[in-house]
Amino acid sequence: MGGAVTRLAGWLFEPAPRSRVALLRLAVYAFVIVDVLALHTSGWYHGFADPVWYQPLEAGRLLGLPAATVLLVEGLKWGSVGAALVALTGRWPRAAGWAVALTWSWYQYVAFSYGKVDHDRGDFVVALLLLPTVGLAHLGDDRRSQAAGFALRGVQLAAIATYVLSGVAKLRFGGPEWVNSATLLRAVVRRGSPIGELFVQVPWVLHAMQWVLMVAELTAWAIFFLPDRWRRLVVLAWYLFHAVTYATITIAFWPHLVMLLAFLPLERYRDSAVRRWRSRRSTPLTTA
Amino acid sequence: MAVAAVDAADDRVSITRLSRTSVAWRALFTALLVGLAVNGSVRGNDIAWPFAPMSQFAFGVDLDGQIRSTYIDADTTAGTTVRVPLSASGVGLGRAEVEGQLPRIVAEPALLQAIAVAAARRHPSWPRYTRLRVAQEISQLRDGKVVSTRTEQLADWTVVDPQGLR
Repeated sequence: MGGAVTRLAGWLFEPAPRSRVALLRLAVYAFVIVDVLALHTSGWYHGFADPVWYQPLEAGRLLGLPAATVLLVEGLKWGSVGAALVALTGRWPRAAGWAVALTWSWYQYVAFSYGKVDHDRGDFVVALLLLPTVGLAHLGDDRRSQAAGFALRGVQLAAIATYVLSGVAKLRFGGPEWVNSATLLRAVVRRGSPIGELFVQVPWVLHAMQWVLMVAELTAWAIFFLPDRWRRLVVLAWYLFHAVTYATITIAFWPHLVMLLAFLPLERYRDSAVRRWRSRRSTPLTTA
Repeated sequence: MAVAAVDAADDRVSITRLSRTSVAWRALFTALLVGLAVNGSVRGNDIAWPFAPMSQFAFGVDLDGQIRSTYIDADTTAGTTVRVPLSASGVGLGRAEVEGQLPRIVAEPALLQAIAVAAARRHPSWPRYTRLRVAQEISQLRDGKVVSTRTEQLADWTVVDPQGLR
């Protein structure tokens, strides 16, 4: 028992390079800006919707959050952008990070309290809460810290939990027979793309995809037991899955795609990219 | 296990460890989030967001059932009939949001006045809506294939004072 707890703690707090967190942070905060300005703007539009449509969620009731106004959504939108810009510089990582977590999460709340919730966006809140806990992390600082390791592990866990819990929800609401139902056909019929239209002609492909999806989701946790190389292949497979999803039903779980980066040795990718770029540039110079 | 291995393999690079307190509150925070997420998935519903069940696409659709897509048509002061853009940029509400609130709208069609008002505010150059009809396109499935489609009207509202909307 004691041994298991120690091993679990060692795994949760396994030291990781600060530079990896610094790179993930760049991706996360750059994404926040793109997201509030271009990708997920329904929160902003709700400032223009009549308050009669406001359907407060539990969190809003608990915190007494009001219906959206134009002033509120503008504040949250530009607050997210401003705080994310500061966070991108790497300065005041805690203050800037908490500010992003607060404004972005509230902005999502506004988006989701008008009758529709996008469930994939819960895990990104976890990433925004974890990143500030690392404190200062420079891009060039490859020294390992437990704080960095914990933040990365937490982001990984949240991302994978999203898959597993999606499988659990399918079992809860759809039942085991979900795999044989017409759920994906419905998604394609309702929001089809040209590629999606092709699938309507061959429903068995969608049917097979449901089996693959259910199995992949319910076994997603196994990624933590794989060797590094395999783990990266699985992440690649998930990216491919999301690309296919986007092609067929034009839905992408954008924040989640950023979260998956936490599985990759980003600082090594950067180093080898820089090396390749330098050698390409320096070759003509040395020969001349 | 892993920690010791890392220490031994890489002793040139120093590792910054967390204090006991730092480890303790992180562990507590993790346990709390796991608890909330599991609780939400097992017992909660959408209003528990961000600890809601991941129920997008989780509902089964009968192979011989129906697929319903909601839309709103509007008659306008220009004498035309248009499809109301149920997107966030159209009238501030998306289609899924209208569907999420459909029972309210069917019970109280007067709520649709707010759609006409939002359109007038967001898009002053559009002709005003004079009458709104909420309907669904119903695709009938047979063995998991779409065999026919038809429409069904759910709510109807004659806009009050369409010229004066703003």
